[in-house]
Amino acid sequence: MIARSPLGAIAPYLSFAGLMTLAISIGLGHPRAAQSKSAGDSALNYGEGEKLFHARCGYCHLAGGTGTIMLGRRLGKDRALLGERTDLTADYVKKITRVGINGMPPHTRIEVPDSELELIAAFIARPASARTQTPSAAGSQP
Amino acid sequence: MPSLVLPPNVNEKTFQKALDAFAGVVGRQWVLATDEDRYTYMDIYAPGDADQHTPSAAVGPATAEEVQAIVRLANEYKIPLWPISRGKNLGYGAAAPNMPGTVVLDLGRMKRIIEVNERYGYCLIEPGVGFFDLFAHLQENKIPLWMSVPANAWGSVVGNALERGYGYTPYGENTKNICGMEIVLPNGEMVRTGTGAMSNSPNWHLFKYGFGPSWDQVFVQSNYGVVTKMGMWLMPEPEATLGLNMQLPDPDDIGWAIDVLQPLRLNGVLQQNPSIGNSLRVVATRSPRSQWYDGDGALPDDVLRSILDKWNLGWWGVNLRLFGYDEVNEAHARLIKAAFAKHTNQEFEVVKWRRGDPIENSGAGVPTTNPLQIINWRGGRGGHLGFSPVLPAGGEHVLKQFHSTKKRYEEIGVDYYGSFTLFDRYAINVNMMVYDRDDKALTDKVRNLFTVLVADAAKEGYSEYRTHISFMDDVALSFDYNNHALRRLNETVKDALDPNGILAPGKQGIWPKVYRGSRA
Repeated sequence: MIARSPLGAIAPYLSFAGLMTLAISIGLGHPRAAQSKSAGDSALNYGEGEKLFHARCGYCHLAGGTGTIMLGRRLGKDRALLGERTDLTADYVKKITRVGINGMPPHTRIEVPDSELELIAAFIARPASARTQTPSAAGSQP
Repeated sequence: MPSLVLPPNVNEKTFQKALDAFAGVVGRQWVLATDEDRYTYMDIYAPGDADQHTPSAAVGPATAEEVQAIVRLANEYKIPLWPISRGKNLGYGAAAPNMPGTVVLDLGRMKRIIEVNERYGYCLIEPGVGFFDLFAHLQENKIPLWMSVPANAWGSVVGNALERGYGYTPYGENTKNICGMEIVLPNGEMVRTGTGAMSNSPNWHLFKYGFGPSWDQVFVQSNYGVVTKMGMWLMPEPEATLGLNMQLPDPDDIGWAIDVLQPLRLNGVLQQNPSIGNSLRVVATRSPRSQWYDGDGALPDDVLRSILDKWNLGWWGVNLRLFGYDEVNEAHARLIKAAFAKHTNQEFEVVKWRRGDPIENSGAGVPTTNPLQIINWRGGRGGHLGFSPVLPAGGEHVLKQFHSTKKRYEEIGVDYYGSFTLFDRYAINVNMMVYDRDDKALTDKVRNLFTVLVADAAKEGYSEYRTHISFMDDVALSFDYNNHALRRLNETVKDALDPNGILAPGKQGIWPKVYRGSRA
């Protein structure tokens, strides 16, 4: 149990809470369960991966989230939002999800099943050509 | 990556047969037994002793009926199980079992929100439902009920209540909100508590007690059953809230603050439990220690003071919140302000919220994981451990506890980071220890500090409200009345319900006969 931060300390996070609420209100809170198909390059799969990214990774990796803050401190603000990174391979995303890194804990195959992780990793590592087809995963753009 | 650690008294052939049998119930993909799988279930923030709690495998049922089948098979093959809801018991062992080789029974796939009842203010949920999931459900469906949410809300609503976690609304004692459970007993039989024991009662989640003994709390912090459904009371959204925030400049200010607030808490002027924390917790969420100090010992007071001055923080932060009708909140705020005015010239910062304003400004439980930022304080692969004794909610008790604990931190060389959460009659003193998991010298210090604090607290007659798996035996040992009569009672019940010692051996220091030699 971590003692709750006083209001002054949590103020920077309130925008994150708002974004989570927004993500929920536009239907990103409950993605359909991923099918056990392999992740292809289709926009449909990136969309599914994006929904799963919000649902499974959004606790920490949306704008204002704890993972975003940690990455920003370590790598700079331009590499803080996981959904906008262009330097990560799908294999790297899958490995880090399973073994953790720095403060990020490992994730079990029940919390994020392999079939879902395939889609999430494909979304994060999507090619530049796919980035104009899906809205920002960061939730930071209008 | 950890290689296979078998359960005690089980050979590899029997173990593999058991896993095959589990797979026959849940499907092969939900029996997790690779080295990497074992790693994902270890204590992710362990203070250097993760290998003392290595699981052998994990199995993930999707229904209560599958839980029953697994528990029956575990009896047949003598495989111990460690039930987890979502495995986010961070700082207390996370998903890891107490006894090495135990199979984790991961209920994370059981994520149904079965019912939310707006009229009577309750929900019926499964253990895999997280705080974010329930919050999303309430928001999506515009249900005007509020949750009590702990500071780090990554975990399970059911799991947190079963560990006596707490939040900060008038429904903040989460275990008090439990009303009616469905439980798989160690022999695989399913029971429902309270009036759920009637096949047709509309009162299961309204009336806690049923007829005869009331069982809900017997399954809290115990190893007597697997909770597969839980009724939880939720708070009706109030018309308004009113926040009162103040920074207290001096360490000893917490004494009078507790004495001012306790009667207001007891008589209902203040209905929530405020957490008064030292400002290192703010500093640690905003910055790494290396930005301020590089010494090995505890952060010196003068360094902390210079940080607090720079950021205009007091030594303690007080954040109170009133919930209800606007006029009543205003009247209660006047009483609180008048009581504080006898001790300080400072005025409260006032934060007002009305129904319809953004919920994140309301004081409602809005899930976030951001307090986890503190684990970056020491850099590297961060972790944290909390020592959390319960003490009377009196200024003299709090001051003594604060000074003696801070002195221990300084003697051993760990940065003091403490808070006191005020309930109506008691306070919970969370003392956080933050470390780099790869800094062996520091994690050794932390474990030493923890052991010293358990002993110090026991001398005062204080125990923890909850503890890390490595210290469950130490804390249980401090319950020594009549030569540990309570432990004998707990273990008599354990042996009667669970003769094969299947469920969570060692949980809360309760060991089944078959593994009693494992007690630390």
